[in-house]
Amino acid sequence: MTTTVEAPYFNISDPAFAMHSEAVRNARERSWYARTNYGIAVLQYEDVSKLLKSPKLRQGSARWPEHNGVHSGIFYDWWTKNLLVLEGEDHHRIRRLLNPAFSPKMIASLVPRFQALANELVDAFIDKGRCEFVQDFAEPYATRVLTILLGIDENEWPKIAQLASTIGLALGVTLKQDLWKVEAAVEELYAYAEDLIKDRHQNPGDDFVSKLVLANRDGDRLSDPELRNALVLLIFGGMDTTRNQLGLAMQSFMHHPDQWELLAQRPELGGKAVEEVMRINPTVTWVTREAVEDFEHKGLTIEAGTTVHLFTQVAGTDPRAFPEPQMDLLGEHAAHYGFGGGVHHCLGHFVARADMSEALPLLAARMSNPRIAGDDEWMPDSGNTGPVRLPITFDKRS
Amino acid sequence: MKVHVDRKLCDNHGQCAIAAPDVFRMNDDGVLEYDENITDDQVDEVEEAIDVCPVQAILLASD
Ligand code: HEM
Ligand code: SF4
Repeated sequence: MTTTVEAPYFNISDPAFAMHSEAVRNARERSWYARTNYGIAVLQYEDVSKLLKSPKLRQGSARWPEHNGVHSGIFYDWWTKNLLVLEGEDHHRIRRLLNPAFSPKMIASLVPRFQALANELVDAFIDKGRCEFVQDFAEPYATRVLTILLGIDENEWPKIAQLASTIGLALGVTLKQDLWKVEAAVEELYAYAEDLIKDRHQNPGDDFVSKLVLANRDGDRLSDPELRNALVLLIFGGMDTTRNQLGLAMQSFMHHPDQWELLAQRPELGGKAVEEVMRINPTVTWVTREAVEDFEHKGLTIEAGTTVHLFTQVAGTDPRAFPEPQMDLLGEHAAHYGFGGGVHHCLGHFVARADMSEALPLLAARMSNPRIAGDDEWMPDSGNTGPVRLPITFDKRS
Repeated sequence: MKVHVDRKLCDNHGQCAIAAPDVFRMNDDGVLEYDENITDDQVDEVEEAIDVCPVQAILLASD
């Protein structure tokens, strides 16, 4: 019980709080958890792994709008009915109906289009020897992958990217002020979703949205509003995450040029590259849960209602689970939790894994010696992170 | 038909228990339990579980 007395403390709302910091690593060495200004934070791999999947915890973001003074409206209705915050049978029923569209087979059929897209984007800047990686690659790639998956006109991508980012404002503490913008964005994305649903009802094919429109499990189906809600969640959950993760991948590889060369020579390591980058440099650095009932973990009593932050990024380099924690595409490492875990495990992970594991080796094969050109700008190093702007220079491989 | 879960790979995410609750369930400790022997009418469900397992730990074999 000594850990209770000695537990480290972090103010995770302080803009200066950083995940990649000596203070957080030291805390992880001393204690499996820290106290914070808002619940506890779990630091060590074994405990993150266990608690992420514990039936004693549920999604912590469900009451996010209420915490920020939002109790009704189109955003509130979307948020409180989406898969990410639903629990129990309400969650499982929707997930079961969405699952078949995300089968590995369905995703594999899209891979040639991901490759063509990556090459098209690289073609546009390769001769210049420089690019702004977010604007010229990560953002259009992440967004257009989603438009390909959903069958939205690819030319619409800048609009879709902008709407998704606007909904992202809802995750900030200024939700109340931004609400009118967020609501307008949800409404506009609903319009895209409704058009798609209507079209696939009339002309069903074997594409992704047709699969969802036709999804049927023991006579149960998704209603049109349920499907509309889910399509907007996919856009919201799939775009900024993939864009940020690609930017962070570039950052990690620029710190490890030997690994970049290895990837260029052995493109089959693309999958490993994704796993390693998401382990040491994930965009989602923590997920939040809430205790459903009182329970004990390692001598600590966690009371019902307690907020529990699972610091998945800190766990990913815990030396207890990773004796050699540095980035190594040839190493055998335990699983990371960059896609979360348990019942809310990322639904789109096969898509994200497939598109990033194509993009990274392709980039490595075409650019050598990438380096930061200066003037880069970053989101805060906590919550969901990544580059805002990442100008790089490189040598074109012949 | 026989279900086999590779316990070295399985990370107890419980997605199989969502996809095929007749065959897979999570106990109070959050650990997977499942029926090894399944009937023909459970095969579709199990195939869905195979697809959704995030670490692809589930196999189905004829006995
Ligand atoms: C690198 C890219 C991605 C990352 C890092 C990521 C990360 C995550 C994480 C950490 C969660 C769990 C959140 C929690 O437990 O609180 C999650 C859930 C989710 N993700 Fe992703 N994601 C990515 C891409 C995608 C894509 C491409 C899609 C859709 C096509 C998607 C759709 C979803 C959905 C629907 C959920 C909610 C699942 C549920 O609650 O059952 N994600 N994602
Ligand atoms: S979905 Fe896979 S990892 Fe999760 S409990 Fe089932 S077999 Fe194990």
